[in-house]
Amino acid sequence: MAIRELKVCLLGDTGVGKSSIVCRFVQDHFDHNISPTIGASFLTKTVPCGNELHKFLIWDTAGQERFHSLAPMYYRGSAAAVIVYDITKLDSFQTLKKWVKELKEHGPEDIVVAIAGNKNDLGDIREVPTKEAKDFAESIAAIFMETSARNAVNVEELFQKISKYL
Amino acid sequence: MSAEMMMQSCLMDRSSSFFKLIDTFSSEISELKQEMVQPARDPETEILQGLEGEVSGLFLQSSACTGAPGVRDSGYDSLRRRMSILDRLMQTHSVWLLLSLSDEEARHILQPQPAGSFVVRRCYKLQKKVISLRMDSDTLIVRDFPVKESQYTFSLEGSGISFADLFRLLAFCCISRDVLPFTLKLPEAIAAAKTLTDLEEVAQFGRGFWDSELCNKKNSSESGETVCDRRSLKQLGINFSPRVPGIPFTRTPSELEYSQSNGALCFINPLFLQTHQPNPSPKKQETSPGNASGSPQHHHSALHRIDRSIFCRTSSTQNKPHASVTRSNSERSPPPRPPPPCFASGKSAVLRKQKTMPETVCWIKTPQEKSSLLGRLGSSFSSLSPSSSPPKKFSKPTLVPSSRSKNSSGLLDADGLRCHMALDDQTIEEAVSWSLAKLSSCNSTTLENCSPADERCSTGRERLSDLSISTSSSDSLDFTHSFSLPMEASPSRTERPTGDSSLEEEEEEEDDGINLESDQEAPPPFKSKKRNGAGTFVLPRALRGHLRKMSGVLNSLMTPERRAIRKIVEQSRDKGTYFGCLVQDYVSFLQENGGNHTSGLDLLQTLRQFMTQMKSYLLQSSELDPPIESLIPEDQIDQVMEKAMHKCVLKPLKPVIEAALRDFQVSSGTWQQLKENLVSAKAKQPQEMGVDGALPPDHVAIEKIRHKFHNMCKMYSPEKKVSLLLSVCKLIYTIMESNSGRMYGADDFLPMLTYVMAQCDMPQLDAEIQYMMELLDPSLLHGEGGYYLTSAYGAMSLIKNFQEDQAARVLSSETRNTLHQWHRRRTTQRSTPSVDDFQNYLRVALQDASNGCTAKTLQVHPYATTEDVCHICADKFKVSDPENYALFLLTDETTQQLAPDTHPQRIKAELHSRPQPQLFFFVYRQIQELTVPLDQLNENTLSN
Repeated sequence: MAIRELKVCLLGDTGVGKSSIVCRFVQDHFDHNISPTIGASFLTKTVPCGNELHKFLIWDTAGQERFHSLAPMYYRGSAAAVIVYDITKLDSFQTLKKWVKELKEHGPEDIVVAIAGNKNDLGDIREVPTKEAKDFAESIAAIFMETSARNAVNVEELFQKISKYL
Repeated sequence: MSAEMMMQSCLMDRSSSFFKLIDTFSSEISELKQEMVQPARDPETEILQGLEGEVSGLFLQSSACTGAPGVRDSGYDSLRRRMSILDRLMQTHSVWLLLSLSDEEARHILQPQPAGSFVVRRCYKLQKKVISLRMDSDTLIVRDFPVKESQYTFSLEGSGISFADLFRLLAFCCISRDVLPFTLKLPEAIAAAKTLTDLEEVAQFGRGFWDSELCNKKNSSESGETVCDRRSLKQLGINFSPRVPGIPFTRTPSELEYSQSNGALCFINPLFLQTHQPNPSPKKQETSPGNASGSPQHHHSALHRIDRSIFCRTSSTQNKPHASVTRSNSERSPPPRPPPPCFASGKSAVLRKQKTMPETVCWIKTPQEKSSLLGRLGSSFSSLSPSSSPPKKFSKPTLVPSSRSKNSSGLLDADGLRCHMALDDQTIEEAVSWSLAKLSSCNSTTLENCSPADERCSTGRERLSDLSISTSSSDSLDFTHSFSLPMEASPSRTERPTGDSSLEEEEEEEDDGINLESDQEAPPPFKSKKRNGAGTFVLPRALRGHLRKMSGVLNSLMTPERRAIRKIVEQSRDKGTYFGCLVQDYVSFLQENGGNHTSGLDLLQTLRQFMTQMKSYLLQSSELDPPIESLIPEDQIDQVMEKAMHKCVLKPLKPVIEAALRDFQVSSGTWQQLKENLVSAKAKQPQEMGVDGALPPDHVAIEKIRHKFHNMCKMYSPEKKVSLLLSVCKLIYTIMESNSGRMYGADDFLPMLTYVMAQCDMPQLDAEIQYMMELLDPSLLHGEGGYYLTSAYGAMSLIKNFQEDQAARVLSSETRNTLHQWHRRRTTQRSTPSVDDFQNYLRVALQDASNGCTAKTLQVHPYATTEDVCHICADKFKVSDPENYALFLLTDETTQQLAPDTHPQRIKAELHSRPQPQLFFFVYRQIQELTVPLDQLNENTLSN
């Protein structure tokens, strides 16, 4: 089976759970073929997709404002970007919109954008309505899912969807 | 003991049984030698003499060895200067290594040939190399046996025996059928050639040889010899299929001397432990530590009977305790395949051997001694672990070859093989002993334990090194030249708990345990070193990691890769070759005109481009002989080439590049500014750098990191530099996580890295990062190395822009633009001549009267023909009438229909490698149709 290496970058405010999502994705269904990595900011996982194998090379980015300007280094050459916000923090959703705009302007042309509303398990203190986020995602033709890295909800599915788009 | 360990031990068994096979062959041959002392009138002897031509070919020896001690002057000296099968194969690869041959063509070539004739080609259907073998039936004329290329090794599918390269695999198949129905047969003209010139003559023909008179003439004269062979083989008790000449089972008497303990088949060099063995037989699994004192549950492998004889020998050499083994083994029934030599009398052979071969190698062990995998491993070779059997018992084997001639290439090979094994064990042993006990407490004992072992090792090493020198001066066996592995391996033995890439030749390159060679993600050994030191409880897991890693390491220190690299490097220094000219001219140009570039970036980019072009040149030209495809599995070629380029280009130029980069920095003022910024950044608290929560490294750790960075600066290879950078990152991570136990993503890591880099206060890191970013193999840029390199670049940019008054400052737009440019540059470059690119993908546009153009990137293998590509296109573009379509090559001026048997990937590669690249497109369209304007294509097929 042919292996396709796909660079995926993770964008979003600090603290929204970018790396938790990836850690969840990579660590679930522990697979002995996974080669250990240096640290959680770069992780890989290989998943079958049709008659191909997709090897995700997942690049985490630092969400703090001061590192914002480094982001192009990380998202350049990415086949997909996962932009994460925290459903309990409206600010993080605003940041997400900025990222979408930046990707539109400076990102790779055919980059697949996936939006993940993380911390779905904290529904009672939600600040971002699902519908609003979903509508936004649709307006930019992005994949949308509300996830919970903690409870492993929709994490696998998110990447499966990305896999299908690639 | 985990299942995996069991598996490992089975693998060991399996492979050692192969050594036994080798050993057995040698003993058989020495029996043959005894026969040969009979009067010359003896018909058998005549036959044997007749065989000499073939037989003596096993080794290429120099006359220099005649006087060497231990060589008996047998009167056959004149026959010594013969070529081994390996030589014959290598010299004549143009005849049988016909990668582009189709099924049909192979059949055409082989049909008139006798059974056992073969060619090696690349089967399009299987996407693999196959041995196309002429069968002995008229219904199935040719059968293909796929060659499995795992990382660094070649083997036949279904066989457990792997080889360093294709030649060795074939040489082995010429002797032993293994999984083949019979042994391979070299064309008579090759098998009977007496001189190198004869072979060269044959090689000249290339593929045309098969149709030549030379080939056909020789075939007809073969029958007489075959009879001889068969008879002599019968004498050995070897059952062979009729048409196969028994070339390699015999040897000149003088050579037999060597074979005593080192194995007659020594030219089958590095033998690899197969990582994907078929399931071991249940019997084997019983060879577990718990069962250690029981009777030997030995291989039910095909080599079973051979084992027996070895056991006999081993036991008699080692005295008493194993006498029972002999018996118990001999009660077994023989396995069905392959036909092993039938020993007339195992016992007598043993006795005789006792007399003539007092130095029997004991590295073949009976299972009794294997108290565990490790014990077993340790026991055979100089073991470092206190847990293994006392080394005394096994001291004998390592002394074995002392009195032997130094010029036997076969000996060398066998030793190389053994040393490889020894290293294997040793590294594992070391790993284990390091993990076993706390470093501090264990240190002294380990060292004590290892000193006698090491001494023994070093005797072996010296001898081996002598060997490699004398061998290379006297014979033309290219492959044995480079077998200096043990020498290079030596420094690592006592110092490093893990073997990793320390065996690289670059002695100046200290290595920190990250091996990027095979995979960007090779784990650094910190975990086991640091954490597992706590107790034996975690050992199995740690060990597993080590074993896995070790096998990777061993594979990478095995010589095919290094041989290939060395070969390329040698060629790069040989101005007689076009490649050598290009490299030497470029290197000396840069050395003399270092400052001829507009910026450091410009310099580095030119270098990168040069290396990339050289790689594609080498791959497409036929200057490398033998072709690299026969030495290195296909998916490794690019990586090997890249390493070779670093060595031939970057190594000599490193000082020049360094000086030039510094000059540019100083003259532009960035050097001074960076120094100032580092001073102010260093004064900052972690929190001011954005560190939040995680504990920063203390002074000791920072010192350690500085040390690593300093080592990084010494490397010339961008990969090695990156691997050291990774080890720094790993260290930072370990420190961060050790206090919290949580996983940190980039939010925490990047600030910490920035803080650490500021604390290190090394302005030279800026140029280092630039060097890596520009020169690293583009294919690695998306991986882990690329990620952390990017992070280091980002951290450095932040420091460069760091200002007192703006702690939370964002980067200037200037830096940002630089980043953009960098990416574009590197990605553009990637789309030009990276080998990877043109090897596997092809962008083809469908031109359709109604819809214009649609382009698709297809996976097209390098050996795919235009016809194949058309099939793929018809399928992908859903063309209902493919017979009306064809593949065209469009350039600015021309449109050209490609013939069905051309290779589009080659065409593409060729076009890419032109000095002035022009736009071109592959277009799949109806044969009768008007062309669309180029600019329309442009929009759709840009990425070719």
